[in-house]
Amino acid sequence: MAREDDLKLVQGVGITKRFGGVQALSDVDFEVEKGTIVGLIGPNGAGKTTLFNIVAGAIAPSSGVVRFQGEDITGWSAYKVCRRGIARTFQVTRPFGEMTCLENVAVGVVNRQPGCRRSQWTALAAECLEAVGLRDLAATEARHLNVVQKKRLEIARALATRPELLMLDEVLGGLNSQEIQEAVAFIQGLRDQRRLTILWIEHVMGAIMQATEKVIVLDQGKILTTGTPTEVVNDPRVIHAYLGD
Amino acid sequence: MSQGASILKSNRKNFLYGAGLAAFAVLPWMLGVYNQHVLIVCLFYTMMAASWNLIAGYTGQISFGHAAFAGIGAYVSGILAVKAGLNPWVGVAAGTVAAAFFGLLVGLLCLRMGGIYLSLTTLGFSEILHIIINNEYEITRGTMGLQVPGLTTSYSKISYFYIFLVGAVITLTIVYKLVHSNVGLNFRAVQNDERAASALGVDVVRTRLLAFTVSSALAGMAGALFGHYMMLITPHIPSLDQQFLVLSMTVIGGLGSFVGPVIGAFCLEILSEYIRAWGEYHVLVFGLVALVVARFAPKGLVGIYKAWRGKKRPETA
Amino acid sequence: MFAIASMNGIVIGVIYALSALGVSLVVGIMNVVNFAHGEFYILAGYFSYLFATALGMNLLAAMTLAVAIVFVFGLLVEYTLIRPTYGDDLYSLILTFILSIVLQNAYLLIFGPYPNKPPGWVRGATDIFGLFMYGNQRLAALVAGTCVIVFVFAMIKLTWFGRIIRATSQDRGMAELNGVNTTRLNMLSFGLGCALAAAAGVILAPVFPVTPTAGVPVALTAFVVVVLGGMGSLRGCIVGGLTLGLVENLGAAYLSTGYKHVFGFIILILVLAIRPSGLFGHKEA
Repeated sequence: MAREDDLKLVQGVGITKRFGGVQALSDVDFEVEKGTIVGLIGPNGAGKTTLFNIVAGAIAPSSGVVRFQGEDITGWSAYKVCRRGIARTFQVTRPFGEMTCLENVAVGVVNRQPGCRRSQWTALAAECLEAVGLRDLAATEARHLNVVQKKRLEIARALATRPELLMLDEVLGGLNSQEIQEAVAFIQGLRDQRRLTILWIEHVMGAIMQATEKVIVLDQGKILTTGTPTEVVNDPRVIHAYLGD
Repeated sequence: MSQGASILKSNRKNFLYGAGLAAFAVLPWMLGVYNQHVLIVCLFYTMMAASWNLIAGYTGQISFGHAAFAGIGAYVSGILAVKAGLNPWVGVAAGTVAAAFFGLLVGLLCLRMGGIYLSLTTLGFSEILHIIINNEYEITRGTMGLQVPGLTTSYSKISYFYIFLVGAVITLTIVYKLVHSNVGLNFRAVQNDERAASALGVDVVRTRLLAFTVSSALAGMAGALFGHYMMLITPHIPSLDQQFLVLSMTVIGGLGSFVGPVIGAFCLEILSEYIRAWGEYHVLVFGLVALVVARFAPKGLVGIYKAWRGKKRPETA
Repeated sequence: MFAIASMNGIVIGVIYALSALGVSLVVGIMNVVNFAHGEFYILAGYFSYLFATALGMNLLAAMTLAVAIVFVFGLLVEYTLIRPTYGDDLYSLILTFILSIVLQNAYLLIFGPYPNKPPGWVRGATDIFGLFMYGNQRLAALVAGTCVIVFVFAMIKLTWFGRIIRATSQDRGMAELNGVNTTRLNMLSFGLGCALAAAAGVILAPVFPVTPTAGVPVALTAFVVVVLGGMGSLRGCIVGGLTLGLVENLGAAYLSTGYKHVFGFIILILVLAIRPSGLFGHKEA
């Protein structure tokens, strides 16, 4: 039987972040169990993206510890975190505009598999593009993509780094309800087929309700509550945080 | 496009490059001594511009110390030949290594900070070098210049032409191979977006450091060869004027394109020989041209050509 | 020797600080380093020389006019060259570097390679605490430089324009959301940066005559001061400028005159190696 620690893929303990005089996060504890999809929600400015950036190594916390598979990865640089098995997308997409979609994805491949040949990375990158439905645009420069396609490219690049934990930052923006349904199915498919664990910031509550096993609610830099989607949406504190008085 | 067709096309391209190179290689036999000299200087600037393009065009870091690294190559090789009687060829190798070493040091110092720091530090480095060269008159002969032996026993422009041709081909090959390798993907990723690159596992600092060190080493090689060709090394080699010329050549030819720096180097060097006839205005003229190009056509002549062909294509199709 | 070297260090340090303020202001607001900073300094020196000597203008009027012209020239440069590259640091570096070479060569063509010196404001020397005699012109430069710095700080602390500058250099996006017209602000702060270079230029030109390339070491020192003080920190400029002025002059007095300017770069290297964000920098490394 697996130890309890093995089930926790990522764990944050007492994470605090100050920007100048502003307390962006205070004493945040959270964990993400292996193989689950966990939603991270909260009103604007609650500190969701800051928490993301801390886990991904984009910024260092003022205090607190981040553990990945039991290993302390606090303050690691982003590239090391990525090579350790955590991939992330950016809320405001950051494609390499002057590179083709294939090359965009290939960057993720070659840094996870150093020394791989052009034919190898071409095949692997094409496979990731295929997964997000961008195969036909492989030779297109990324700056020519529309917003939705850029979000897909973000996911393809993240998949190319062969992550164990995938962190998605508002990937559903700009989609209609039909497309949201498809996207939710796609993300669940990622988890099932690629055995990923997913931490997902999203504003579209319907998608979070449908796709996640657990939801973490942040408000004003603190954990407001954690629970199943149903528990969370019925929690009066959450309703209060979103709607105010 | 089928794979067969693309191989055919790349074969044709290689053939064209080979034929062009062969035609260029016989060119000096048809020219006078003065024009042979111009060609050699063109090749020197090709090496300088192509290697500067590696750091500036492909990773987006502006080094203002490229001429300074050429100066390091030239002075190290020259001083070893004069003071230690070392074979000039060994000197060229030592000069290249020295430039790589200083490039690595400067890079380690400032590349973990943003791109602006590299520009500031390399500018400072170039100024320090100047002060040292002028102060250590006993060793460097200051502005008088250091007389150094040539690379060949009997002096002939033709043999220097081939030496510089080989140097330029080596430089261009290294740049091409690097840019088209896995590392090249990282170069371009870093140039496009550092944060996204590091989120995809790119070690941004190491990538920049590699590009900067290789680029500086190639400048060192070019400078060392040039010193032995001129047989006189002056502080003009590591001057900001030289740095500016190399920058202008790359920008006017096409920053970030493979052939751009070559085109820029040849155009500007040949042009400056003509302009020199009516006085030392060429720096001012090039400056104004470079300013206009960088402002209105940031991809240079190559970019203009591509845009023109892109416009023309739909009509012919 | 110590006393006079320190005095020189303080005078020159104040001018370094003034010149660095212009660079730091532009870095803080626009994230652009103006590599032609030194050439703006020189331009003002030439103008004050021209107006005062050739046109026989009143000294103060000549200096004010010189600074005003350089300010307008700075606005023009921002409008024509910098604005289109905004957000692309690479091209602003390239463009200002080319501009600096163009200006140097234009000065050479117009004014020739000879040093030009506007008339001094005052004559004679003053006895400093019975220690040494010090040139009145240098003392006047010290006073003038201090006044301009105080003026700049007062403007930034007290006026509405200053509040906008502080807000924007802290968080550009937030300032935009709050209705700051950042396009106009960029233009103004670039012009102001150039005007500060010009102020340093007119103050120092009677002491150190201007030549076409004399701006290069001035700009380099300003850059060192900015890195030492911390990119975008205005307080850092003052501390950095004085430190650099003192180190250079004491170093020149006790160690080596020829290597005077190298001491500044040694500081730069130390800062980059030990505390790359500078004394007052808040940017995370």
